[in-house]
Amino acid sequence: MNRLFLLFFLIAGMTSRLHAQSDAPNVPILSGAVAFQGTTNGGATSFTPIIVPVFVAPLGDHWLIESRAEVQGFIARENGTTGPYSGHFFANLDYLQVDYIANPHLTVTVGRFLTPFNIYNERFPLWIANLVDTPIIYPIGTRTSGSSNGGMFRGVAVARPTWNLTYTAYASTLTTTENLQAGRAVGGRVGLFLPQAGLEVGASYQRFLQNGDSNITGTYFAWQPPRIPLDVRAEYAHSPGGQGYWLEGAYHVAATRDEDTWLSRLQVVGRIQQFFKGQQPTPADALPAVDVNQFDFGLNYYLPHNVRLNGSYGRQFSSAGNANIWNFEIVYRFLFPAWPGGHQ
Amino acid sequence: MRVLFLTLLLILLFGHSLKVFATPQTATQTPKGPKTTANKSTANKNTASDPGEQKFKENCGRCHNPPDSLSPREVKAVVQHMRVRAMLSAEDEQLILKYLAP
Repeated sequence: MNRLFLLFFLIAGMTSRLHAQSDAPNVPILSGAVAFQGTTNGGATSFTPIIVPVFVAPLGDHWLIESRAEVQGFIARENGTTGPYSGHFFANLDYLQVDYIANPHLTVTVGRFLTPFNIYNERFPLWIANLVDTPIIYPIGTRTSGSSNGGMFRGVAVARPTWNLTYTAYASTLTTTENLQAGRAVGGRVGLFLPQAGLEVGASYQRFLQNGDSNITGTYFAWQPPRIPLDVRAEYAHSPGGQGYWLEGAYHVAATRDEDTWLSRLQVVGRIQQFFKGQQPTPADALPAVDVNQFDFGLNYYLPHNVRLNGSYGRQFSSAGNANIWNFEIVYRFLFPAWPGGHQ
Repeated sequence: MRVLFLTLLLILLFGHSLKVFATPQTATQTPKGPKTTANKSTANKNTASDPGEQKFKENCGRCHNPPDSLSPREVKAVVQHMRVRAMLSAEDEQLILKYLAP
């Protein structure tokens, strides 16, 4: 732990020294979120305090060090719905990566990074995700931990005023070290973004190179019409362990995206999802053992000072038994410089 | 006399604090774009005059609201982080950087 602190201060100090050499200050930042979640799933209640610190240190215009960790507790009754509450804590390193921005079309990443399969894993940390629960198909393409250890190329292959073509290609090695787990895999993603329409579509592919090699595919869709405060997102993913999709719509109660009233801070969210078990399911898939249908309905309220309240109700239908799922979350997003100093 | 002295002392302290914190105060002011009413009204018509504002809305606004406040000291790290994470083009990155830290 002391070494981590030493490393943190070395990086922070180094970047602050670089500050004077660049037009914009290379001040490292500490960001992330603190959240508290409460869940009742099929009558079993649990509470989850979470802190997710994000550290970002630019080193000049081409180098960047990024890291995100996750420390969370899990407090629940010992026998599910009866017995005293007890809890334990987990810690996980989501990413610790060095990025080299080689040119306008290529960024080279080395280290531990979020597996870029579809969009949920990379783009929807808890302070952005509209619903507390991750989609049922989330484990598809993100095994074993949502993170990969290795290298990645990514960037904007073609940038035009009306469309962008983006890509990622990565390779990850098997890692079984606790808190740093990753699967052996190679994969990639391409996406087409039409900024003026607020539309993005893309596809992902992964070759999972362990437990018997397997192909995993996925597609995604995101649409934010510029004039209406509506967000529509969807993903489909397929693996030998199963396939499924989720479709989510979120609407701020306002006439336009930029309206700022007490009512416009309210967001109504709905999500439907279906999962169909595959021909070769294994426990390592972390997927349901039966087909599942689920819908969720939620209300989010964006308070001032980067605080958000979430509440949602979901109903899950499966041959293993139907269940009601209630979620509540309060999340605070923070951001501040990680090193003192001013800007000339 | 004591009141006058204390008043002067307070004025001096206040003035000194302004001088000492002049840079951070400038730095911690809310970015013009995401917070100003003018920008919001123009954005309603989707005719943002600042191309950086337009890029901010098109890219960053897809996932999150503008931050309540963002210091120019933090902007470079934030925008570079988002360039890698959200696949911003180099041109968009520069426009957003200028918009958030003019």
